[in-house]
Amino acid sequence: MSTTAQFSSLMASSSKFKTFAIVFSISGPIAYCVIQYLNWPLVTFWPAINRLVWGYEGGLTGQGPNMLWYGWTLSALLVAAVLGFVAVMLPARITDKIPLSLLWILPILSIPYIVYSLMPWWTLAANSH
Amino acid sequence: MGDFISTSAFWTIWLFVHLILALGLLGALTHQAMAVVFPVRRPATGIVTRFRAVPAAGYTTAVCVLWVLTYFVGAFIYTKYRIYIRIPLEAGHYYKTGGFFDFKEHVSSIGLVLLPAYWYLWKNAQNPQYDNARKGVTIVLALMCWFLFIVGHLLNNTRGFGS
Repeated sequence: MSTTAQFSSLMASSSKFKTFAIVFSISGPIAYCVIQYLNWPLVTFWPAINRLVWGYEGGLTGQGPNMLWYGWTLSALLVAAVLGFVAVMLPARITDKIPLSLLWILPILSIPYIVYSLMPWWTLAANSH
Repeated sequence: MGDFISTSAFWTIWLFVHLILALGLLGALTHQAMAVVFPVRRPATGIVTRFRAVPAAGYTTAVCVLWVLTYFVGAFIYTKYRIYIRIPLEAGHYYKTGGFFDFKEHVSSIGLVLLPAYWYLWKNAQNPQYDNARKGVTIVLALMCWFLFIVGHLLNNTRGFGS
C-alpha cells in the first residue's frame, strides 16, 4: 500500500478526524457568512498594485479596487479549523450528538443570505432599466 | 513571460485550464450525485443507467482534488477579472452579471469548506449511518458545481476568452 493510501485509510478510520471534518464543514458555511457580514477578511489584496495586507484595508484612492474574497475565505477556514480542533478535544458523547444533516442544510440556508448580501448589485441592476 | 507568450494568451491559457478542471469536476460530481440519487440495483443497460451505475466512491478524492485545483486556478485568474473584466462590466451596467460572479465566488468558498466532511463520509460509505448526510452533501456539491459552471460560462461569454 502506498504512503498516500495508508494516510487516506488512517484518516478515514480516525474518530478524531471524523469529528474535525464534520465540525469544520458544519461551521464553515456559518463562519463564512458571518465573516462576510462583519467584513473581517484575514487579508486584503490590491490587484492593481500587488499589495497584500493583513486584515481589512479600504479607501486607497488611485490604487484600484481591493479584493476581500481571499481574506473572507481564509478567515472562514481559520475559524472552522479552530472550531474543528476544539471539537476534537471534546468527549465523543458530545460530538456524536451533532446532527449530520447540518452538513447539507446549512450550505442551503446560507444561499438566501448570500443573495441578500449582494443586494447592491441587484439594486443597481433594477435601477439601471 | 513576455518573450514567449503574450499577456493575453497567458491569461487565456489559465482560463482554459480552469475550464478543463471544472469540466472534470462537473463530470465526476454529476456521476456521483446520480449514483446516490438513483442507485442502480440491476445490471446496467442503456447509457443513462450506465451513467448512474458508476462506482461512486471512487470519485471522492478526485472530486476533492479537482475542487481545490479549480478553486486555486480560479482565485489566480480572479485578480485579472477584478480589474479587466469587472470594471468594464460595471461601466457597461452589466450589474446582474457582476452580481452573479460575486454569488459564484461565495458558493465556491462554501463548497470548499464542505470537502473534509464529504471526503470522510464517502471514505466510510459502507456505514449506513452516514447514508443520508453523504447523499445530501453530494447533491449540494453537485448543484453548486453546476451553478458555478453555468455562471462561469455565461461570464466568459460576456467578457472572457479573447477579450
